[in-house]
Amino acid sequence: MNNTRVGIIGIGQSAFRARRDDASYPDLVREAVTIALNDARLELDDIEAVVYSLSPDAMVGIGNAERLGVDAVGARNKRFLRINTGGATGISSVAAAYYHIAAGACDVCMTAGADKVGECGDSQTVLNKIWDPTYERALPLGTINMLAMSAVRYAHKYGMSQEDMAAVVVKNRRHAAMNPNAHLRKEVTSEEVMASRMISWPIKLFDCCPQSSGGGAIVLASEQFIKERNLDAVWITGLAHCAESYYLGDRMGVGQTADHADAHALGVAFQRAYKMAGIADPRRQVHVAELYAPFSNTEFHSIEAAGLAKPGETVPDLRAGRFSIGGEIPVNPSGGTLCTNAIAVTAMIRVAEVALQVRGTAGGHQVKGARVGIASGNGGDHQFFGTMVVEA
Amino acid sequence: MRLNNKIAVIGSALRTPDNPDAQSLEELLFDVTQAALKDAGLTIDDIDGIVVASNDQMDGRAISIMAASGSVGGVGRDILSTPSAGEHAFVMGALRVASGQYRTQLIVSWSPTEADSQSEVERIGADPYFHRRLPLDDLSAYALQATALAAKAPGVNEIARAIAGREGAIAGREGAKAKTSALAFRRWPLTSAMTPPPATGAVALVLASEDFAAPRGGRVAWVRGMNWATETGFLGDRDLSTAPALEAAARGAYEEAGVASPRETIQVVEVGDATPYQQLLALEALGISARGQWASDVKAGAFDFGDKLKINPSGGSRAVNAVFCNGLVRIAEAANQVRGCAGAHQVAGVRIALAHAASGFAMQYQTVVVFGQDR
Repeated sequence: MNNTRVGIIGIGQSAFRARRDDASYPDLVREAVTIALNDARLELDDIEAVVYSLSPDAMVGIGNAERLGVDAVGARNKRFLRINTGGATGISSVAAAYYHIAAGACDVCMTAGADKVGECGDSQTVLNKIWDPTYERALPLGTINMLAMSAVRYAHKYGMSQEDMAAVVVKNRRHAAMNPNAHLRKEVTSEEVMASRMISWPIKLFDCCPQSSGGGAIVLASEQFIKERNLDAVWITGLAHCAESYYLGDRMGVGQTADHADAHALGVAFQRAYKMAGIADPRRQVHVAELYAPFSNTEFHSIEAAGLAKPGETVPDLRAGRFSIGGEIPVNPSGGTLCTNAIAVTAMIRVAEVALQVRGTAGGHQVKGARVGIASGNGGDHQFFGTMVVEA
Repeated sequence: MRLNNKIAVIGSALRTPDNPDAQSLEELLFDVTQAALKDAGLTIDDIDGIVVASNDQMDGRAISIMAASGSVGGVGRDILSTPSAGEHAFVMGALRVASGQYRTQLIVSWSPTEADSQSEVERIGADPYFHRRLPLDDLSAYALQATALAAKAPGVNEIARAIAGREGAIAGREGAKAKTSALAFRRWPLTSAMTPPPATGAVALVLASEDFAAPRGGRVAWVRGMNWATETGFLGDRDLSTAPALEAAARGAYEEAGVASPRETIQVVEVGDATPYQQLLALEALGISARGQWASDVKAGAFDFGDKLKINPSGGSRAVNAVFCNGLVRIAEAANQVRGCAGAHQVAGVRIALAHAASGFAMQYQTVVVFGQDR
């Protein structure tokens, strides 16, 4: 077991929008890279390796589009590879960059990517193609009705109402209004959420994340490099992944491998990351959380999987303001995935936002006194889960 | 830079089914995974993490690696995927073991042949404004590369034909998928013998840490050096008659492995070449045969096992062209030579072998792994 500590020294993210007609896909990547390098006080020549963060090829309409991003990340003749675990890609890419440094392969590794989901036409048409062509694709499944089924099951088990789901939207939009990089920054009322059109019962339009365009980049470095350069850093102290079954049907009914109401594998991934970070009681030890929840209902089971509340307790706790900025453990102070979703980098932004929080530079949505933060990412058909603990 | 922990290949398996339609993709993945685990003397319970690699367009699925969750034993386990290249899954798995946070990694990559048009699959990978309408596919990129090389190295066409003939003969002995010897041009100057048709394939490797592998004994190939690098994405920005990313990758891998004179030190090279022209470019960039030596090396039989150094004893991609996972196949073949389990094409007494893998248009991604019997 080696003791190489890995720190985050640079963070870059776009101000996310529905469309970015002013920038090509590689331009968006470069935009985030430039911000991250300036934040790290480094040049492209300082970057020894790059992990490229890109989820389904079809989302940008180019096969292996990472090849066209090589110049945008300055990787020519350098170490370069791409990670894809669907929606979890961003956090998986940070993890991959972490392993580069922890392995001793290099001292400085950057992960970067971008997405133009707002310009892909209909992301659900693309996402239907993630399912097995013989059995589940034809239903037809999309990620919205997939998680609508989870909402129905969760409501049945724990008594969540549509008004409870709306309370998540109200909270996250209030947070996003304080975050200049968030895509949806207009505050909404519960009545407005309830009045929005039904998409897939019980998920309504305002319960859904937007389709966002923008880029993200994070620069990681070894402790030795950080000390030699006298750089500011926050530290990745725990990280893990865990996967569910491919077939959604395996998570329902008799003989289920996991209950679709919950996020079982996310819970396992958090337990692994906590063990590595030495966190025994997350309710007391974690100060801020950025949890990947693209639909309002999924924030409830994500909070429970993170061990921040017992199953079924999250609904009343959220109503009581426990997860709002100013509450006991703010969840998604950036507004979260519900307010910004550029899929290739969404889970990377979860890590970036937690890093900003524990660094104390989150700006208007800063959580006071945050020293320990957690982030998560979900990908595939609620299948691949990545988790991370970041500490000051 | 030397990695923090040593890594060993302790198991591998390759599947190239004669009748791919007789197995579902998941059956193929389950089969190759179980075979690799059996070769390593392990069960899936011994696996700490999994890295998989596939191509969405070839599989006809978005996030095609999702299908691996059950079939490779990923449920409840830690899965990453590297859709950039099959060989990148090996790199990622090796880094995870070297980080000291994993004892073992299972690496799986696959390449189906169900797409109506392989050319169209590849064309989608070209940038939509400039290259896609040419139209550019892998073969066209390889042909441009061959032409660029021929312009700089007169006589290379004859050398390329000789290499294709030799490997075609090996492919025949090995009962390979591609037994064509047709001289018809597929894209000038590439002939059918140089560029065999795609075959369905799947490959799996089991990696382990020193603490895990050393006490178990058995047949092991140690990763002595490993490096990877990329060219830029636009062909117009490159000199296709050179391979600077491979030169960079080789420098790092040799430094890590302590290899000063590759031609004298390395006994077997598995070259990730889609054409014989790429083999020549790779051998030059790897410091094994400079282009001024190519003609004399061919005349002396150096590329025909007439040298101490054996090149592509497996027949290379001319024997099995499992397009997306060819690079990982090369890595498995080189590791098997060191482990002494390469089968009919085993070279006697191999103590150090090199795997080279290339992916993308005209070898954009370059990877080098040096395996040794000694740690």
